[in-house]
Amino acid sequence: MNTSAADGTPVAATPAPESPAAPPSPPPPPESPAATPSPEAPAAPGPGRNRGAWALSWHGIRTVAVLELRQRVRSTKWIVALVAWFILVGAITGLTFAAFRSDLTTGIQTEPWIGRTIFGLVVFFVLFLGLLVSPTLSATSINGDRAAGTLATLQVTALSAAEIVFGKLLASWIAALAFLAVSVPFVLIAMSAGGTSAVAVLSTLALLAIILAAVCAIGLGFSALTARTSASAVLTYIVVASLSVLSLIFFGLTVPAISATDQVRVYDVPMDSVWDQGNPQCTWRVQAMKQVHTERTWWLLAINPFVVVADAMPEAGLGTPGDFVTNEDPMSLIRRGVREARTGPGYEHNLCLSNTSSGPVQRALDRSPVWPWGLGANLLLGAIAVWFAVRRLRIPQLTVSRGTRVA
Amino acid sequence: MTGGGVAAGIVATDVHRHFGTVRAVNGVNLTARKGAVTALIGPNGSGKTTLLLVLAGLLTPHAGTVRVAGLDPVAQNSLARTRTGWMPDVFGTWDSLTAREVLTTVADAYRIPRAVARPRVAGLLDLVHLGEYANRPAHVLSRGQKQRLGLARALVHDPEVLLLDEPASGLDPRSRVDLRHLLRDLAADGVTVLVSSHVLSELDEMADDAVFISRGQTVASESMAAAASSLRPWRIGTLSLSALTSWLTDADVAWRPATGHGPGLDMPHDEPGSVLVDLAGAKQASELLARMVGAGQPVSSLAPAAGALEHTYLALEEERR
Repeated sequence: MNTSAADGTPVAATPAPESPAAPPSPPPPPESPAATPSPEAPAAPGPGRNRGAWALSWHGIRTVAVLELRQRVRSTKWIVALVAWFILVGAITGLTFAAFRSDLTTGIQTEPWIGRTIFGLVVFFVLFLGLLVSPTLSATSINGDRAAGTLATLQVTALSAAEIVFGKLLASWIAALAFLAVSVPFVLIAMSAGGTSAVAVLSTLALLAIILAAVCAIGLGFSALTARTSASAVLTYIVVASLSVLSLIFFGLTVPAISATDQVRVYDVPMDSVWDQGNPQCTWRVQAMKQVHTERTWWLLAINPFVVVADAMPEAGLGTPGDFVTNEDPMSLIRRGVREARTGPGYEHNLCLSNTSSGPVQRALDRSPVWPWGLGANLLLGAIAVWFAVRRLRIPQLTVSRGTRVA
Repeated sequence: MTGGGVAAGIVATDVHRHFGTVRAVNGVNLTARKGAVTALIGPNGSGKTTLLLVLAGLLTPHAGTVRVAGLDPVAQNSLARTRTGWMPDVFGTWDSLTAREVLTTVADAYRIPRAVARPRVAGLLDLVHLGEYANRPAHVLSRGQKQRLGLARALVHDPEVLLLDEPASGLDPRSRVDLRHLLRDLAADGVTVLVSSHVLSELDEMADDAVFISRGQTVASESMAAAASSLRPWRIGTLSLSALTSWLTDADVAWRPATGHGPGLDMPHDEPGSVLVDLAGAKQASELLARMVGAGQPVSSLAPAAGALEHTYLALEEERR
C-alpha cells in the first residue's frame, strides 16, 4: 500500500517533512515506526508498512500472553483451582486402583488389560476435567476485557487483532497445560500398573494438550461473539457437551434412521441340513437382514474427544489384532467399536458355526486410525473460532453489534 | 494530506457515523492544528466520544474523511494508531498489575525496545505523580490516580496526536493544574492535542482553539482569541452601586444588575455591589475602566462575567431553542 519514500515519486503525502531530515540520519528500522523516543523522529522517515489485522509477530503474541498470564497467576483462585484439581485426579486414581486391587495383588501375573484399564480411566477423567475447566480459561477472555474497558486500549496499540487473539489463546492454553501438568504424576502412577508403553503415555498427553487447545480456541471464539461473559461460557459448554456427550446420544437416536432391511449374502449351514449327519457343509445364500448402517454416522463418534484419545492409543502388542479377549480394556473397546462402526455391517456375513475365521466373507475391518478425523474436526472448529475472533477484533470497526461497547 | 504551511494534526471532513438508527456523528468538520490544544465542546450525547473513537482508529466513519497525523485511520489504521495517543472517557486498568507494569506492557504493545521503555516509563510515572505507586497494584489507586495512569498510558509511545476524552474528570484541583501545564508543554513540543471536556472554565485556560458540536454536527469552531474578543458580559465591581449606575446611564453605557442581586431594586443604593455590561474584548474593557477611574468612580474590579467558551456555548444553546 505504501511504497517506500525512496521511490522519489512526488506523492503528496511524504515529501515535505522528509527532505531536510532524511540525508544525515541513518534509515530507521522499518518495523518499529513508534519505537523511537523523540517525537520528531516518526515524522522524518517514510510511513513504514501498515500492519493489517492478520499481521503476526512473536513479540506481539508474547506481549499479550504475558499480560494475560500475569493477571491470572496473581489471582488466588488459580492456586485453589490447581490444588482442587490435584486432589480430584489423585482421588480418582486412588479409587481406580482400589477397585482393581484384588486383581492386582492376588493374580500371580497381572493381566495387561487391568493396567491399561486403570490408565484409560485416569486419562479419561483428566480429559473430562480438562473439558470442564478449559472453557472457563478462555470463554470470557474477550468480552470480559471489553466489559472491563481494557480491550480497546490494547486494540489501539501497535498490536494486531491476530496478535491479541493468539496471545489470549496461548495464555489460556498454557493455563490448561498447567492443569494437565498437575495430572502427569497420576498418569505415570496409572502407567505403573502395567500394560501401557511410554510411547502411549507421551502420545496420549500430547493429544490431550492438542484437544484442550482446540477447546480453548472455541471458547475464545464465543467470547468474541457475545457481549455477556455468561452467554459465551454457556455456549462453549454446549459445544463441549455436544462433542463429548450429545454426539453419543445423537448416534444412538439415529440408529432407527440408519437401519435398513438389506438383501445380504450369508455363508451358513443350509436350512435343510440335519445335525445328526455330521459336519454340514456351509453354503452361500441370500436373505433379508435388518442392518444398522453405522458407516453413515460413525463420524458422530469420531468427533468425540474421548474417542479420539482412545483411538490414538497404540494397540497393545498382545494377541492377534482384533482378538477380543486380550484387548478388553475400555480404550481398546472404544477403538474397536468406532472402527467397526466406520466399516459398517457390509453385505456378506459368515454365520457358519464350524468356521471361526471369517472364511470366504470379503468384509474386512477398516483398521486405519479414526482419531486424525476426530482431531482434525476439533482443530477445524478451533481454527474457525480463532478466525472469527480475529475478524471481530479488527479495527476500525464498521459495524458494532448490539450490546457491545467499543471502548 | 499534511497540507502546506502549518501542518494540521487532525482534519475531519464531513464525518458521519451512526449506530443503527442513532446518528451519533452526523457531519462533523474539525481541524486541529499541530502544536495547539483544541477543545472539543458539546453537551452530553452530542457525539464527542464517537468522534474520538473514529479519530483513534477504532470506528470506521460511514461517510467523510479523516486524517490523523497525515494518515488515514481507515486505510492506514496501524500506522495512524502508532502516532496517536488516546485516552477514553471510561476505561479499565489491569488491576493486578502494578502501575509500572501497566506502562511497560503498553510500551511492549507499541514495540518500544525495553532499553528505551524503562527510563521513559519511570519518567512518565513521575510526570503524573505516580512514582511512589510504581510498584503498587493498580487496584489500590484512586479514581483520579487511575485517570492519571491512563494519561501516562496514552503518552508511552510519544504520540504526535493526543486524543483525550474528558481527561479532567475525577482529578483533584492540583492534578487539573498539572494536566493543563502538561498539555501546554506537549503542544509546545509540537503535539496536536484534542481535548473533550464539559468543564469549560478549564478549557478556557488551556485551549487555543475550540470546536463546538451539537447533535453530531459542528456548530461552531473558533479560536480562543476570537472567542475572547466577542461581545460578552463583563462584571464591574464597585463600592457604590448608586454612583456607578448613574454614571453608566449618563455615559450611555447599557448596564443590568448582576444576577444574585436582590430583585425589585429599581433604585440602587449607595452600597458595594456589581453590575454587568456587554463589552467586546479586553481593549474595550480597558477603555471603559480608564473612563470610570477618570470620573472618580470607586471601581474595585472589572472582569468577564463568564469564560469565553461558556459564553459561546450558552449563546449556541440559545440559538438552537
